[in-house]
Amino acid sequence: MSAIVPNRSSMDKKPFRRGVSPPALIPYLVAGDPDLETTRRYLRLAASAGVFAVELGVPFSDPTADGPVIQEAARRSLRHETALSELLDWLGTIPPEELPPLYLMTYFNLFHHMGVESFCKKARATGRVAGVVIPDLSFEDSRDYRPLFRSFGINLVGFVSPTTPVDRARRIVREARGFVYYVGLMGTTGASLSITPAVRDMVGQLKQWTALPVCLGFGVNEPRMAREILGFADGVIVGSRLVREEEDPGLWEKTFLEFVAECRKAEPER
Amino acid sequence: MSRESAAIEKHKEASRKGSPSLPDYRGYFGEFGGRFVSETLMPALLELEEAFRLAWKDSSFRKEFYGMLAEYSGRPTPLYLAESLSREMGGAKIWLKREDLNHTGAHKITNAVGQALLARRMGKRRLIAETGAGQHGVATATVAAKLGFSCQIYMGSEDVRRQALNVFRMKLLGATVSPVDLGGRTLKDAISEALRDWSRTVGETHYLLGTAFGPHPFPLMVRTFQSVIGQEARRQFLRRVGALPEALVACVGGGSNAIGLFHPFVKDAGVRMYGVEAGGISISPGLHAARFAGGSVGVLQGTRTYVLQNPDGQIENTHSVSAGLDYSAVGPELAYYRNAGRIVFDSVGDEEALEAFRTLSRTEGIIPALESSHAVAYALRLARTLPRDSNILVNLSGRGDKDVMEVSRILEEKGERL
Ligand SMILES: Cc1ncc(COP(=O)(O)O)c(C=O)c1O
Repeated sequence: MSAIVPNRSSMDKKPFRRGVSPPALIPYLVAGDPDLETTRRYLRLAASAGVFAVELGVPFSDPTADGPVIQEAARRSLRHETALSELLDWLGTIPPEELPPLYLMTYFNLFHHMGVESFCKKARATGRVAGVVIPDLSFEDSRDYRPLFRSFGINLVGFVSPTTPVDRARRIVREARGFVYYVGLMGTTGASLSITPAVRDMVGQLKQWTALPVCLGFGVNEPRMAREILGFADGVIVGSRLVREEEDPGLWEKTFLEFVAECRKAEPER
Repeated sequence: MSRESAAIEKHKEASRKGSPSLPDYRGYFGEFGGRFVSETLMPALLELEEAFRLAWKDSSFRKEFYGMLAEYSGRPTPLYLAESLSREMGGAKIWLKREDLNHTGAHKITNAVGQALLARRMGKRRLIAETGAGQHGVATATVAAKLGFSCQIYMGSEDVRRQALNVFRMKLLGATVSPVDLGGRTLKDAISEALRDWSRTVGETHYLLGTAFGPHPFPLMVRTFQSVIGQEARRQFLRRVGALPEALVACVGGGSNAIGLFHPFVKDAGVRMYGVEAGGISISPGLHAARFAGGSVGVLQGTRTYVLQNPDGQIENTHSVSAGLDYSAVGPELAYYRNAGRIVFDSVGDEEALEAFRTLSRTEGIIPALESSHAVAYALRLARTLPRDSNILVNLSGRGDKDVMEVSRILEEKGERL
């Protein structure tokens, strides 16, 4: 099994080795959409397919970085009051072998409201949280919280975007843990990525600066595109394209397996 | 102390040590503020911060700004003694800073002029903005028309309904108005849509945020532009009365008319300051917008401040008769001065605001905006508790034309007749 955190526990990391681990898919799921039972089913399938990791979205009322598809899914999940703290309890009840490495993705207010330290303690206690992806915790503001996440072994993923200047990207990558999330396009989730030379170049640069996996996400809406991305990136994140099918398990599983199949075929470009 | 609170304490300590001017270099007013935005927007904020810093140091920029305020917007706005109103209340004298007499009818134009001039300097071609009451949308559409920007305004669909006059004005001025049908369909949802637009278009677009809120440098920049209100009022007061007022009163949506009036008086220890939030129907979840009464510290739309949120940290929807105050969070600088004990906050509900709307119209021939009516209502309360020779200065942030239809509808619904 390939995984960004090769072992299931965030506390026990083997170094990622570029070119050795097989190519990697990171599906994004909105927890509790349409309900937690279904989420669990998707997680189990993702684990058995051997994905790199799953980005598990915790719904927030005001998702400013998300487009309509993920906004709508978050709204569906919030109808039954999916909450961060209870979600951690729930994860703790799932046998580890049914879970892929998990990165919790949500907006900073949910961590802040629970208390970042309480979150870390609880997340660590479950042994099932590899890290966190927080789109609105800027590199600048994360300074106050990075030591805390680190001391609990929770990876705080670093974001780089097409607007990030080179020297800034270098600093972000240096402080990143878990993986580097390169947002391939300007805008919100659910748009459509085009793989330009600039995108390839940036990924190439980032790979030179870090030993962490460099993963590309935002707007990957075709299995073929995912495969192409894995020719030059260490991982590919698929969000809205899968979230769109979340209400229909049959359709979700079919789409997910198409992505898995294409990603398995990917070969690193020379 | 936990490590987390230690990090927060560090921010507080830095401010206590009296960093001579707030915010600090990371955009914090004590523990409030910051830049909680996606990486896509961060470089734009850094660029904006630098552009603003350089522009404000440049006397030709300031000259352009104050010149346009004078010639285009009609500044300085008058300081007006509301004699009949004061007499009727039988207490302290009530003075009005007539921001309603600005071009387009509210204080919002001042910030729009400042940011649009800055955006032009930065080579931007397009302006976007959120709006609640529609006053900021109209102000942005106005400066866009004058300075030749294309312009798109995001507005919650509930606000589109109740501020229809302003929607028509924006269209007339050449702006596109995009109704936002998400969440509570009010100001918060309009800001989220504007942020989403900005992250798609950040190269050519300036987000002309309408209040002293959001990520750094917006709270600093908006306060700097709007401080012209307090600077003028202070001068006018000293000239007319020979002393400073005992109390200042302003309504608080995001906080721009309040901080604009208050900031130049912060060091005048004898001047008390009152920020008035929207009490709505009652102070229970979803029925009001009094962040300091019903909220707790959180992070929303770029800043750490007081936020209305439920026990899970989800943001609560709000209610107020006034669209401009109907918002779940408040500007970080006001949160700082509130906790420092410098500004007192209280709330006025829908009924009391509507009453003040009518009282000011009847006694002074001035129809105030519903937002400003909250400040007027609070000043009336305060006047009764103060001696007759004391002075209260109210920021009359806007005029009420935009609200006339909605108030008429509400009165009809209640079976009341004028
Ligand atoms: C007339 C008027 N006053 C006050 C406000 C509230 O905003 P702020 O708190 O930024 O002054 C608005 C907002 O739309 C307004 O139109």
